[in-house]
Amino acid sequence: MIRRARYIWRTVYLAPVAFLAVFYVYPLLSLFDISLRPAGLLDLSGFVRLLSTDFYLRTLLFTVYQAALSTAFTLLLALPCAFVFARYRFRGKSLILSLATLPFVLPTVVVALAFASLLGVNGLLNDIAAALFSLDYEPIQLERTLAMIIIVHVFYNFAVALRIMTGYWSALGFSVEEAARCLGADEWALWRDIRLPLIRPALLSAGVLVFIFSFTSFGVILILGGIRFATLEVQIYYQAVNMFNLPLAAALSLVQILSMLAMMIVYTSTQKKIHLALASAAVITKVVRSWRERLAVGSCVGLISILLFAPLLALIARSIFVAGQLDLGNYASLAEKSRGSLLFIAPLDSVFNSLRFAGMAMLAALILGLIASYMIDGRGRLSRLSDALFMLPLATSAVTLGFGFIIALDEPPLNLRASWLIIPISHTLVALPFVIRSVLPSLRAIPPSLRQAAQTLGAKPFETVLTIDLPLLGRGIAVGATFAFTVSMGEFGASLFVAQRESVTIPVVIYRLIGDPGLASYRQSLAMSVVLMLVCACGFFVIERLRVAGVGEF
Amino acid sequence: MLQIEGISHAYGDLVSLRGVSLEVDGGEILCLLGPSGCGKTTLLRIIAGLETEYSGVVRFAGADIRPIPAHRREFGLMFQDFALFPHLSVADNIAYGLKRRKLERNLIAVKVRSLLEQVGLNELGERDVASLSGGQKQRVALARSLAPNPRLLMLDEPLGSLDAQLRDQLALELRRIIKKSGVSAIYVTHDQREAYAVADRIAVMNMGSVRQHDSPRQVYQRPASEFAARFLGLHNVFSTTDERIDALLGGAGDQSWRSAPSVLIHPAGIRLSSEGTAPQIKVTLNNAVYRGGYYDATVSAESGLTLSLALADLPVATGDAFLITIADDAIIPLAG
Repeated sequence: MIRRARYIWRTVYLAPVAFLAVFYVYPLLSLFDISLRPAGLLDLSGFVRLLSTDFYLRTLLFTVYQAALSTAFTLLLALPCAFVFARYRFRGKSLILSLATLPFVLPTVVVALAFASLLGVNGLLNDIAAALFSLDYEPIQLERTLAMIIIVHVFYNFAVALRIMTGYWSALGFSVEEAARCLGADEWALWRDIRLPLIRPALLSAGVLVFIFSFTSFGVILILGGIRFATLEVQIYYQAVNMFNLPLAAALSLVQILSMLAMMIVYTSTQKKIHLALASAAVITKVVRSWRERLAVGSCVGLISILLFAPLLALIARSIFVAGQLDLGNYASLAEKSRGSLLFIAPLDSVFNSLRFAGMAMLAALILGLIASYMIDGRGRLSRLSDALFMLPLATSAVTLGFGFIIALDEPPLNLRASWLIIPISHTLVALPFVIRSVLPSLRAIPPSLRQAAQTLGAKPFETVLTIDLPLLGRGIAVGATFAFTVSMGEFGASLFVAQRESVTIPVVIYRLIGDPGLASYRQSLAMSVVLMLVCACGFFVIERLRVAGVGEF
Repeated sequence: MLQIEGISHAYGDLVSLRGVSLEVDGGEILCLLGPSGCGKTTLLRIIAGLETEYSGVVRFAGADIRPIPAHRREFGLMFQDFALFPHLSVADNIAYGLKRRKLERNLIAVKVRSLLEQVGLNELGERDVASLSGGQKQRVALARSLAPNPRLLMLDEPLGSLDAQLRDQLALELRRIIKKSGVSAIYVTHDQREAYAVADRIAVMNMGSVRQHDSPRQVYQRPASEFAARFLGLHNVFSTTDERIDALLGGAGDQSWRSAPSVLIHPAGIRLSSEGTAPQIKVTLNNAVYRGGYYDATVSAESGLTLSLALADLPVATGDAFLITIADDAIIPLAG
């Protein structure tokens, strides 16, 4: 009986492993193959070209440079805010902290368009400035500049850095700081001797994470920078799709994969230090009293609110006002293809595509993710190994995944190149780590004695899972499902490779509309972005509602 | 040295101190004794300058120190969780306050070495503070707060996180080290044994105010309030309106207890009585627990009143009657 149950589990465990093998490992191996043996023989000329041509070296350097700048600015803004959030309690603090993570679920195409609506040549700020000071030129010239890209990266990563550092600082508490004050440390000495050295592990961990995110940023740079600001990601896409230079694109992917691997190892080591230090308990916050404290809290809340809402509101405003008049024509036009558009379908049809694919990806990611969570929850080598294995898709850029898909899955026995199935499959792969990270904490929180108690009361193993585990996992499953759905709705990098013709998704349609000639298409892209933003924001609010302390390891 | 007058403080709606006034003389160790939440830690934080929102006056050596920020007061504070700097070595922890006073490097090294020796940690100067045991951390924290020669030393439950056996021994050692350095000290604890061992004087605190301010001996022998008596573990506290207490103490020589709201019959003054000595009270032995060296016994008087007392030996079996005498000075009138 018990033996049979074990066999059943082993067979079930095979499902996520097989999925990963076919749809992750195999495409990646194909990438290696095509970059190292483009004509069936070992040929490193692609790499030689990569390393000897100034242009590609510059691409790599620029990727590092923009990521470093983004990281520096993000940390510079998040550090003082984290201090204020950890230190003081004030009304609306948890709301702001939670809202600040909204960008996490917002698709890159939406955010890129939002910032263009705010800071672009024809953006809202330029319009306002021109109207206020009756200028006949645009004072803000950020379009297609590095500054614009970095501003958007700060928008994306600010909350990640803020959460990591605020959590760490709160857990550290302030008694060490008070001890230093009693020993004669003034404000300057406190920062130099106590606060900065103590926050360093969190600063490092947040920094590495922000660097990784900026290093792999794709949609933002593709839309706001163009080929002039090509990073590795953009270059992979450009070489594969526009130049059809597959060996070079594959070689670039290989560089990308190796850099990611190296950065993930660094990140994991910084994480260990953080967990080690988070032993202390009571969180003590102070009430805001003096005008200096008020100013500090006010500027943090103001900064976060502006950073968060200004671009999103600008996007909405741009989509509903045409020539200064309220006009919902942009939305009405979504039902039809604009003239001259290269799209195969009307923009609105992509909404049904996206919903359908997101539903399928959610279901698949949920089933596979649950099984994988049970694998990871066990003890021993298998569990540790599977933990690392299932997190790999998170450490692989979406562009690399999409590229791997189209070169690996285009011939029998697995020819999915022309099938729409390839889209939900790729989304499942991207969403899987999110489901696992949402379910796992709840699973780990179930004490084994509960299951043992159920067994002594006569529950069969299957009944134990059904009556004990699933009800207790409910919240984690709901969070994971919403994550999977939202991630799929906004997925851009992989979809751009695999979504073709009639089966394009919303983000891909938005990108195509931006590229289409004519103002009509651009307006459609704005309206479409607002629709997508609202869908993802809904997902976000569901997740935040469901998430109690302890659900979700992010 | 230190005088505090009428200190009141509240956390939001929660009042933590209600007009506390105290004084600490030069070289004296004052113990603030009370249950957790009685406001003793808040009082320390106010004296240290870490809490700035309160009413009342804090004076040191005659000067009002309220406007002086914490880092310029030159008071040492030893935190309950020790608050050792986790990124610094043992020696660097101890040296921190000395560096803030801009002492010469050689002088700092010499001072750190002598402090390490004083607290018995000679070999551990280069160790990481995370690797220390609880007792060792406590010594580092003490050495760190003593290092810059503070004008006043404050200790917040310094032995609170250590186990009971270690506590007795360390309390005496703490007193020795503090007395040797000659610094005035305020020592906060909820443990009466610790307070008796360390203090020159004890201030018993409850619900934000000082209920009694006496020598350790006086605090134990003549607790002033019902709270103090109960907090010190003295159980024989009765309301004076209780008729049964009248029956028990009606024959005693001193009847001054009648004007107080309640009365303590101090167990130290209850003795077994032999035939002939008067006045005698007949009681029945309810139960007795052997505590090693003596018995904790409860007995019932004929009026039905139950008393606790310590007995060196059991005079009778449980359920049988015997005679006791209550000394006049064991009848202590208590304020409410």
